[in-house]
Amino acid sequence: MSCNACSRRGFLRSFVAGSALMPGIMSQLLADEDPLAPKQPHFPAKAKRVIFLFMTGGVSHVDTFDPKPQLFADHGKEVKADHPEIQNRPGYERIFLKKPQWEFAKHGQCGTEVSTLFPFVAEQVDDIALIRSMNTSHSNHFNATLGMHTGSFTFARPSMGAWVSYGLGSENRNLPSFMVIAPRMTYAGAQVWASDFLPAEHQGTHVLPGGEPIANVARRAASTRLQEIELAAAQEMNAEHLAMRAGAGGDPLLTARMRSFQTAFGMQTEAPEAFDLAKESDATLALYGLKRGQTSGFGWQCLMARRLAERGVRFVELIDTGSSENWDSHGDMMDHARLAKNVDQPIAGLLKDLKARGMLDDTLVVWTSEFGRTPFNNKADAKGREHHSWAFSSWLAGGGVKRGIAYGESDEHGMRVARDGVHVHDFHATILHLMGMDHKRLTYRHSGRDYRLTDVHGDVVKAILA
Amino acid sequence: MRGMALTSFVLVALSGSLAASESGEEFFEKRVRPMLHEQCEKCHGPEKQKGGLRVDSRAALLKGGDTGPALVPGDADGSLLLKAVRHLDPDLKMPPAKEGPKLSDAVIGDLAAWVKAGAVFPAASAGVVAKHWAFEPVTNPPVPLPLSDEVKTTVDAFVLAKLRAAGVKIAPAADKRTLIRRATYDLTGLPPTPEEVDAFIADASPDAYAKLVERLLASPAYGERWGRKWLDVVRYADSAGDNSDYPAPNAWRYRNYVINAFNQDMPYDQFLREQLAGDLLAAGLPPEKAAEHIVATGYLAVTRRFGGSKVDADFYLSIEDTIDTVGKSVVGLTIACARCHNHKYDPITARDFYGLYGIFSSTRFSFPGNEEAQRPRDLVPISGNVAELKAFEAEFSKLDAEVKRVQTELNEKRKAFAASVPVKLASGDIPNGGKQDFGVGDLAEPESLVRMKAGEMLQLTINPKMDYGADSTQIEFEIAESGGTRTWSLSRDVVEHFADPHDESRFGAWCFLDATAAPALFTRLERDAGKHAGLHVRRGSAEFPLVEAYTSTTPIKIVNASLAPRSIIVHPAPKGDVAVAWECPADGAFTIKGRVIDIDPGGGDGIAWKLERRPGISTALNAALDATKLRDAATKKRDEFAAKKPAVDMAYAVAEGKPANARVHKRGEPKELGDEVPRKNIDLFGGQTISDPASSGRLDLARWFTDAKNPLTARVMANRIWLGHFGRGIVATPNDFGTRGAPPTHPELLDHLATKFVESGWSVKAMHRLIMLSAAYQRSSAPATDGAPSADYARFDRRRLDAEQIRDTLLDLSGELDRVPGAGHPFPAENTWGFTQHNPFKAVYDSSKRSVYLMNQRIQRHPFLALFDGADTNMSTPVRNISTVPTQALFFLNNPFFHARSEALAKRMLSLSDDTQRIAFAYRLCLQRAPSEAEIKRAKNLVAAYHAELASGAATASQSVEQRTLSSWSALARVLLGSNELLYLD
Repeated sequence: MSCNACSRRGFLRSFVAGSALMPGIMSQLLADEDPLAPKQPHFPAKAKRVIFLFMTGGVSHVDTFDPKPQLFADHGKEVKADHPEIQNRPGYERIFLKKPQWEFAKHGQCGTEVSTLFPFVAEQVDDIALIRSMNTSHSNHFNATLGMHTGSFTFARPSMGAWVSYGLGSENRNLPSFMVIAPRMTYAGAQVWASDFLPAEHQGTHVLPGGEPIANVARRAASTRLQEIELAAAQEMNAEHLAMRAGAGGDPLLTARMRSFQTAFGMQTEAPEAFDLAKESDATLALYGLKRGQTSGFGWQCLMARRLAERGVRFVELIDTGSSENWDSHGDMMDHARLAKNVDQPIAGLLKDLKARGMLDDTLVVWTSEFGRTPFNNKADAKGREHHSWAFSSWLAGGGVKRGIAYGESDEHGMRVARDGVHVHDFHATILHLMGMDHKRLTYRHSGRDYRLTDVHGDVVKAILA
Repeated sequence: MRGMALTSFVLVALSGSLAASESGEEFFEKRVRPMLHEQCEKCHGPEKQKGGLRVDSRAALLKGGDTGPALVPGDADGSLLLKAVRHLDPDLKMPPAKEGPKLSDAVIGDLAAWVKAGAVFPAASAGVVAKHWAFEPVTNPPVPLPLSDEVKTTVDAFVLAKLRAAGVKIAPAADKRTLIRRATYDLTGLPPTPEEVDAFIADASPDAYAKLVERLLASPAYGERWGRKWLDVVRYADSAGDNSDYPAPNAWRYRNYVINAFNQDMPYDQFLREQLAGDLLAAGLPPEKAAEHIVATGYLAVTRRFGGSKVDADFYLSIEDTIDTVGKSVVGLTIACARCHNHKYDPITARDFYGLYGIFSSTRFSFPGNEEAQRPRDLVPISGNVAELKAFEAEFSKLDAEVKRVQTELNEKRKAFAASVPVKLASGDIPNGGKQDFGVGDLAEPESLVRMKAGEMLQLTINPKMDYGADSTQIEFEIAESGGTRTWSLSRDVVEHFADPHDESRFGAWCFLDATAAPALFTRLERDAGKHAGLHVRRGSAEFPLVEAYTSTTPIKIVNASLAPRSIIVHPAPKGDVAVAWECPADGAFTIKGRVIDIDPGGGDGIAWKLERRPGISTALNAALDATKLRDAATKKRDEFAAKKPAVDMAYAVAEGKPANARVHKRGEPKELGDEVPRKNIDLFGGQTISDPASSGRLDLARWFTDAKNPLTARVMANRIWLGHFGRGIVATPNDFGTRGAPPTHPELLDHLATKFVESGWSVKAMHRLIMLSAAYQRSSAPATDGAPSADYARFDRRRLDAEQIRDTLLDLSGELDRVPGAGHPFPAENTWGFTQHNPFKAVYDSSKRSVYLMNQRIQRHPFLALFDGADTNMSTPVRNISTVPTQALFFLNNPFFHARSEALAKRMLSLSDDTQRIAFAYRLCLQRAPSEAEIKRAKNLVAAYHAELASGAATASQSVEQRTLSSWSALARVLLGSNELLYLD
């Protein structure tokens, strides 16, 4: 394979140079204008890209990031609450506080308390802005997951990743601007990464751990040379078609499709290269808890996120597990130990790795779940916890975020927000703000209305901005 | 506060664009009414009147509240309203601090200006809004030009008048090859055959093109193409859309009804009436017609379902979705905006919304099943013996109840068994890849000698610990009678017989148990699992736990697990144990030896094991076994009876429910009920109440919305048909003809089309003729040298084939398209449905039929349709927005479906003997034209170069000549099938 052929633009240029295309068409073919071209934000911002870590199923805040000594103390006490998860539910007429199963300790210079479930992440608290006053509008998985991703708890709407792509474009046209690495579908299925009414260029591209991470990206032709022969013939035919149909000014529809082959050709090389960990050092793999040759697991997802972020992918989402076998520990909170162990070291590894490479300054890392878990259950000795939308914990780290702070408070039992509540809409507004976008100005006209990620809500949480 | 944010944003956006000369009414509508609505009406409106004040009419403001009149027209400073928003009086600050911040100076300025100018306050349904063009009656504008060469149909007269006025140069007529390609794709979604192209080009008669249009309109493929456009608008899907996305059984009948209705050119008003109220129009019709009418109401039944954990809890959202879709699809109005409050921009009130709401809440919708109730219900029988079906269902439910009863009995017995207190003999904990002998653990009995009574059991239980996965565990287990001669060896006794078709996993004294909860035997046997010879697996209803015997004499490695020859292996479930047990045949003392080996060092955290003696187990187990047999017999009886279900066709449709008016949901909250609203037409269309309170009122609704005098119904559909032909509507927002929608580019033309549509008896095919026979439709897509805007139809807009056209074309050209209409989908049998939000229904079914027949889900889109911008199954898709993304290009490079179609086409080419013939055949087939000499040469060069490269390439040098030939011609086929010339019109 010649070096010229390696380069996508070289590939196109070499082909265009030999053809009888008019100058207008040529310049259009080589134009950088497409819906994913990088765009200026509304105002200067530090964060250039997002890595969004989504823990499916509902992580218990009182067992992880929100220490509640009083909940330990009041274990077994009966409480009253007009809680959505117990209304009209047989066997839940009475509820009792349930103590956390893991101890908390202060960490780092900042002294933020984290439980023993996340020993690795705990070491990184000096880089984290923790929010302990998150709340959401629904306590069903489907609705809350949709809400955390799209700002809508009921209807299909564009995903946050699609909005960010729409607002800022992509820095690498050989890769999609919004990529979702998920071993399985989460609740609400592909709706969580859909572009919905936004142009389809902004939809999330689903990456599956394993052999073919992006659909159809594996070259079927037996060699690159064979594919080049085929593509040259195709582009020649398309160029002749273009020359016959289009005037001197070219035709954006036809040239856009010709260009898309250029990008696709590049993706075949760039995507496998991005997904190939061969050049990562043993030390880096160890940081993420990865064994050499491993192509799945959350460590793999995290390292992949760094590699995609390095290559200019605007929004990378990692989904931990899927719509089953996840953080939804109704039966036994001990499940959280297995799940936390699975993600703790990889997440801490990602933060350390980004920092070591100087990328944490302009990369925003977001960690969240769709909701928390109840500080109570229907028996004092119940092993599990139920869905809890009233209060939970999420955190941000990196570009533009204050380091080593804990913002907001839940009440003494972690039941309700006590101070500085951050609703999902506020969370979204803040993430957009950190990316240099005003959530009220990032709009799209559809069905006669200007739509926003935050609908008619959302306040930027200024206190966590650096 | 949140409401405030949006309002000020809107106001700022508007204030920049307003002209100084605007009238008081306009000023009020744009700057004051929205602010009063957003900021004040929550507390001072129809729902609450804090301090006795309402602000939603001039009279109410003049009357004022407890502190006196709020408004003095002409005197801003003297109006309490202004005092309050300016925060001049500490006791009267509006909005109150807890509701939001003080209004901006600009907003207060607008309010003051409005009061000073006399406080013009038109009633909501009058004023600017009611004069909106789309709400005025359809006119019949004079045709501006007589018919001529340029004015082929009246359509041209309107188009040309505007083009001439603008002095735009008009593109010439398209050539005949372009025209037949365009018309055939447009009306049938498929390419014309080479023979059809030849015949059309050879036909020199003046009406050759008109005959072509007639032929295409008569093709069954026409309904498959244009029916799909309607299915887009009604957000058709084959599944529910809630969290578990249950299949919607029989929804396909509605899909086929739509296709047939288009093929029959059913009058559009009748088509709408049947969809809204077909069941109520079916009385007295012959059975087949009546069935069709019921199926038609699938239009309503395919509404989206929400939530899913509780039956009916979220059905109010489905009713909203129904009203939304009816509003958009039939009359181009966003009626559902009035769910929470009066429509902000169009004259539609919350009363209008709840007037319609009552009609649909008085209607019973087929239910697909959901997480809580996992079976469909309220499907509507449309043929066959319904009485027989009812009798069947009665008997079936008896048999089903019996199954449940014996299952409960079995569960009780198992619980009793599980509750028996075992004596722990030994236990252990081994790391990944480790092994332990029984003796190594804390064996309670001395010297491994265990006293046992006949019927007692030794049970070795394997536990997966915290970290499930890679827990394949080999078991060695040897027992000898102390002082006797009898010995038992797990591997010796079981390996040989493991793959025998026993009923359960029992082998002499040995048995294997799923010990997840109450012990159960394994019932399913899989021989040579994973195609590994000699690896036999037994499991229960779930994948795990399982037990396997590896009966070969050579060791193998499967993934990370190393399997020893002639060994027994168990694998626990994620949250459950698996056990090996030995039933004692006679009283005595026994020596026990054994070993537990974790044979999979990958992942996980090893396993834990325990060895127990369980008293009286055999009897308990036998009792459980008896109960198991009873349960199995009852199940068999029920399932055999199920096969006798009388053949009654069912429709996913609606029927009359319990007629009742709805009450307003305050702010859209179904728990906060306001006034009852009679079931009624929307005020914009007359506001009549329903004629028969004992009915749902759907029949009235069907009549109101299809009244020939309705200003919207004909315009909206005429616009959709125009859009279907030209790729853009006269109104660019086909689902929104309200004040926020786009104004028509050619208002007279739209009214002309709407008039002709109604005059033709609502014939959609008549519209096709009127439009397709126009010169505007037949123009070339060649670019205008003077850059004329294409919106004026000076030339034909180039467009890409849509998702269905691409897939159907690929199958058609490869000779594989199955033209037989599709019917139902191969959903799993209903009695197996157990989908939940954790494991929702998800499937993709392969098919060689036309794409309109593919199964469309809501939780996931069909991967092909999604890739090429197919319709949204969750909401109405009035226009397909076509994208060009690299993942589509990857499809044309590497997708297996695309490669297979290309290879099939290559085989068609190769059936001809001569290369030139092959190339000419492919060009004529794919592109409807002969190749040029240069193209033939290039095609030959491609095939030769590809062939040569295959011959020299390291990976392909060993291929046979035939293989290389097929691969080379397949490459040419891919170039043609993926070319812009094929994928774009024109």
